Amino acid sequence: MPRFLVRRVLGALVILLIISAVTFWLFYAVPRDPATMSCGKNCTPDMLAQIRHNLGIDHPIPVQYWEWLKGVFVGRDYAGFGHCNAPCLGYSFANRQPVLGTILDRLPLTLSLAFGSAVVFLVFGIGTGMMAAVKQGKWQDKVASSASLVASSMQIYFVGYLAMYLLVAKLDILDNPSYTPLTDDPVGWASGLMLPWLVLSLIWTANYTRMTRSQLVETLSEDYVRTARAKGLSRRNVFFRFAWRGAMGPIVTIFGIDLATLIGGAIITESVFSLQGVGRLALSSVDKSDLPMLLGVTVLSAGAIVFFNIIVDAVYALIDPRIRLA
Amino acid sequence: MSFSRRNFLIATGVAAAGTTVLSACGGSGGGSSSNDKVPSVSGAKTMNIPVGTKADSTGPAPEVPGAVKGGTIYSLDQFDMDHLDPAQIYVSTEGAITRPILRGLTGYKIDDKGGCTLIGDVATDAGTMKDGGKTWSFTIKDGIKWEDGADLSMDDVRHTFERLFASFVTEGPRYVQQWLVGGDKYKGPYSGKSLDSIEIDGKTITFHLTEARADFNYTLGMPGYGLVPKKHDTKEQYDKRPFALGPYKIGDRKIGKSLTYVRNEHWDPKTDAMRNAYPDKYLFQFGYETVASTDRYIADKGNDQYTMSIFNEVAPERTQQVLTNATLKKRVLTQVDTVTYYWPINMTRIKDVKVRQAINWAWPHQQLQTIRGGKATSELASTILSPVTPGYEHFDLYGVETKPGGDPAKAKALLKEAGKVGQKLVIAYQQSDNAVKQAVAIKNALEAAGFKVVNKQVDKTTFYTQIGKIDNGYDLFAAGWSPDWPNGYSVFFPCWSGKNIGDGRSNYAQLNDPTVNKAIDQASTIADTKAANKAWGAIDKQIMELAAVVPDYHSIRNWMYGSKVGNVVYDAGNTCVALCKLYVKK
Amino acid sequence: MTSTDQQIFLSVRDLKVHFSTEDGIVKAVDGLSFDLAKGKTLGIVGESGSGKSVTNLSILGLHDPARTTIDGEILLDGKDLLTATERELERLRGNKMSMIFQDALASLSPYHTIGTQIGETYRKHTGASKKEARARAIEMLRRVGIPQPDVRVDDYPHQFSGGMRQRAMIAMALVCDPELLIADEPTTALDVTVQAQIMDLLKDLQQEFGTAIIFITHDLGVIADIADDVLVMYGGRCVERGTKQEVLRTPQHPYTLGLMTSMPSLEGSVDVPLNPIPGSPPSLLNPPSGCRFHPRCTFTEKVADGLCSTERPLLDVVDGRGSACHLSLEQREEFFAEFAASRHN
Repeated sequence: MPRFLVRRVLGALVILLIISAVTFWLFYAVPRDPATMSCGKNCTPDMLAQIRHNLGIDHPIPVQYWEWLKGVFVGRDYAGFGHCNAPCLGYSFANRQPVLGTILDRLPLTLSLAFGSAVVFLVFGIGTGMMAAVKQGKWQDKVASSASLVASSMQIYFVGYLAMYLLVAKLDILDNPSYTPLTDDPVGWASGLMLPWLVLSLIWTANYTRMTRSQLVETLSEDYVRTARAKGLSRRNVFFRFAWRGAMGPIVTIFGIDLATLIGGAIITESVFSLQGVGRLALSSVDKSDLPMLLGVTVLSAGAIVFFNIIVDAVYALIDPRIRLA
Repeated sequence: MSFSRRNFLIATGVAAAGTTVLSACGGSGGGSSSNDKVPSVSGAKTMNIPVGTKADSTGPAPEVPGAVKGGTIYSLDQFDMDHLDPAQIYVSTEGAITRPILRGLTGYKIDDKGGCTLIGDVATDAGTMKDGGKTWSFTIKDGIKWEDGADLSMDDVRHTFERLFASFVTEGPRYVQQWLVGGDKYKGPYSGKSLDSIEIDGKTITFHLTEARADFNYTLGMPGYGLVPKKHDTKEQYDKRPFALGPYKIGDRKIGKSLTYVRNEHWDPKTDAMRNAYPDKYLFQFGYETVASTDRYIADKGNDQYTMSIFNEVAPERTQQVLTNATLKKRVLTQVDTVTYYWPINMTRIKDVKVRQAINWAWPHQQLQTIRGGKATSELASTILSPVTPGYEHFDLYGVETKPGGDPAKAKALLKEAGKVGQKLVIAYQQSDNAVKQAVAIKNALEAAGFKVVNKQVDKTTFYTQIGKIDNGYDLFAAGWSPDWPNGYSVFFPCWSGKNIGDGRSNYAQLNDPTVNKAIDQASTIADTKAANKAWGAIDKQIMELAAVVPDYHSIRNWMYGSKVGNVVYDAGNTCVALCKLYVKK
Repeated sequence: MTSTDQQIFLSVRDLKVHFSTEDGIVKAVDGLSFDLAKGKTLGIVGESGSGKSVTNLSILGLHDPARTTIDGEILLDGKDLLTATERELERLRGNKMSMIFQDALASLSPYHTIGTQIGETYRKHTGASKKEARARAIEMLRRVGIPQPDVRVDDYPHQFSGGMRQRAMIAMALVCDPELLIADEPTTALDVTVQAQIMDLLKDLQQEFGTAIIFITHDLGVIADIADDVLVMYGGRCVERGTKQEVLRTPQHPYTLGLMTSMPSLEGSVDVPLNPIPGSPPSLLNPPSGCRFHPRCTFTEKVADGLCSTERPLLDVVDGRGSACHLSLEQREEFFAEFAASRHN
């Protein structure tokens, strides 16, 4: 296992490097000039040149990338901002705020949103899927399957606004969603995010219901499950230790990817509920041609995905001994 | 008020993008024709913003009837402010939000009759002009203190203007840098050098300008010339935490999320004729899309009753619901804005005036208005200046009011006269839901008039870079502009003077007419405000006769607010909601 | 448990197993009866779809209760399995009666070690501790001939070879000393040498413990090796039964005869064409009327009145020998004699 982890981590770093380079290149592949975004109304070529110098974009692209990369590993000096310690992700072109600081500031919300809704959709999705698989063919299964099909077809901006209108504005059951740090006020943290969790989970739960159900139906019909029963083991023992074990693999894989995606920022959810997370940061950095912020968020999202891929692979190896040889 | 590219983007591009996310799949687009039920505001009053007297400039500011002290005003807005350093402020929202904390040499006093006057803010009056406008002097009031209790010193005043030349100051207005003698060589005060064209004598500061500027006192009323203390000038960091001179100072700042103002105990109301300071606190909150904020205003629950918005207007999706409901409409401040959206015609490519006039005749103003959301959010434009900019003259050369849907027959006749039926037009438009729909409507209307239209979609992020080039290859594209202070100079000089043609410059039409150029130069020097305004109005008509542009519409702002926010009025000088006039109703 | 105990241990009476499917009712087993004594091996022969596996799953109660209708009687040591509760069945499975399956790789859980899989049956039925169960598992592995059992007990099934996996499965099935062992084609997937070893192992274990074995296969060679009695199934019915010698030397049913003649001879020439039974197994959804074998039988014209297609031939068993065919015994003697002669050696 340790060798496996080391190899994967090294591979992850390479991937992140490539992603950062590609992002850099893609950013400049379109003819855009971040300087014009920061230039006032009466922009003169002199002004643009000064801005380009201030932002550090008056160098060729490979040089800019190299400077950025160096900053990530050993820190970097900025005129007017002093020394930026490693890992230095630079300063936003838009508001000259430190990129890493801004991302870390938005991260708790995104993490709260991600993990909170993960708990909800895992519990409900897997629970419903389990029930549907066990009661396969009966009315519970049919209801669960149809409901999950409907739910997975819904869209967050539809359900979200509807939920806000009903629960917050009309019925006054919940307050407007807001973020209170967990460490400040756990109850406030949970109640402020309850609505976004539920709405986000509604759509994702459906996926897990269907997946769990189909995986379990498949494993329940496996030969080794039949053997386990033939040995006289109880139904519950057979279900959890055998059928479930086989079904878990794909679910864990999908969950890892979903969680990574959520950590990259749930853009629509954040917009609908007016939450300031990493997702909206990504969106605004694209709009404002804010390369440092865009790079920071992209590398973060990619990092999350890569990281969770490694975890998922490790967990899969734990679940399935046949994988361990690799 | 200022209107940088970014503000333009925010107002049209980014906000539209936001609506695109929400409306593209949600079904209804931003506009529906049933919005005609919504009452219009055509016939907006023209503004007159004269220069006030010394008495006008003497504090305290007149009381707002019924106002009481206390409470907190909240705000819900989409974007945080990128810059709070006055030298970097050009965007109107940043200007608006800093009115309670920053003060400048001059400013705008709002009276209770809806009028507005240019007065002295820290200056005793709106300045004394000599040499036809090449010299301006201002005397500073006594008793003005910073948030730490220190007096406002003449060093501070000098420093404020000298730091405008520093290399990190890139975003704010460039007027002072352009007009102060020796400004082209001066690099700022941080290396110990000072600028000779700024003279201090006792409590009087004098500026020596390279050209005659009869309206320099208006220029200095821009938020970009807010005062900065020399001792606390943290240069690049000042952008995040400016020092307050006004009735409030910054209490807390969570970048991207919130900004709090608390009282500045050292502000003396007797020195301030512009600002009331009724609320104890302001809490500005960011990250709220317009649909979210509008819904909260409609629900009007809890703290939302004490809430207003600086940037967020009534969301397009809710415009009809709000403006046709009498109760809700009472909580909407509706105001025609100073910004005009127009389509410059590339005169280097379209040289025949008859062709350009034909485009104006054929233009489908009304269809475009409907696509944008109807009469509630925009007024059709037949002039370059907005009706609320002093100097505006009402005229309609191409039938915008008589035939708002366009007059293809007249257009075609003109084309025939010019022998240019079938003239090809390459039109650039941005990628946004509304822009696409409008492009189609424009194409149809122009082709009905005998043009051949090629629509070219341009990526949002590179749009301005592309159209800013002289050889952009386009005949028409959308643009917008608003004056930096209430007269025609900052509209006509940058956008319509032959001196401002070049890559990245704002004369998109590439108009280089000697008569117009001369008229602009002359109008810039007229001392009498009334006479100057008349001259600008005439230039507007002149440019329209040359049909260098197709004026499209003037924006109508609809700012909604909570039921317990008192005295929500428009600040015509800064073109925003007057933050300093608000109070919290009990 | 003595190996010479002749008392009837398992008794199946008129077993009918019907599945309800979307297309109709599948009559997988249609009236099957047999007995099995302790220490004896019953070989069940038949093609795929003859109903042999279904029979065994029904004995263990592993059918899907939602879709299956079972009629008849299955008495295990006097207890009717068809009326037993699930709990009672759980106590019997793996304990008094066990099953080994054809595909050991698919039938063993890939997620647990061999030791755990053997041990958990032991723990369930005897309440032993983990340590005791592990010791027992090692002992069983040794018993079935797996080298280094104390090391291999912690391996996973995918780390075993095919033959060893099958042995492990046998170890798992026998860990609680069951009195009935059902082997569902356990050697079909193995090569001949391994097959021989497994067969020897089973015979030894039966010698030692007196287990009654039901051995299902389609391979007559295996039957010849291990079975005491033979039951030939076709189309969900028993078509012939008797002792191994009786059935293999003097088959009394055209199907059995067909099976025999289709076997290639080691002594014969290489280019002699094979002799398969013409046709294919019957649909159990819509089985042929009368004798289920009649569409493929070469002797139907010999039977008067076309009985073969209208009337189901009865299986009359005398002294454990019987076959279900409309041909008279004399007719069968005559037609099959030639065949019997050629097989007597």
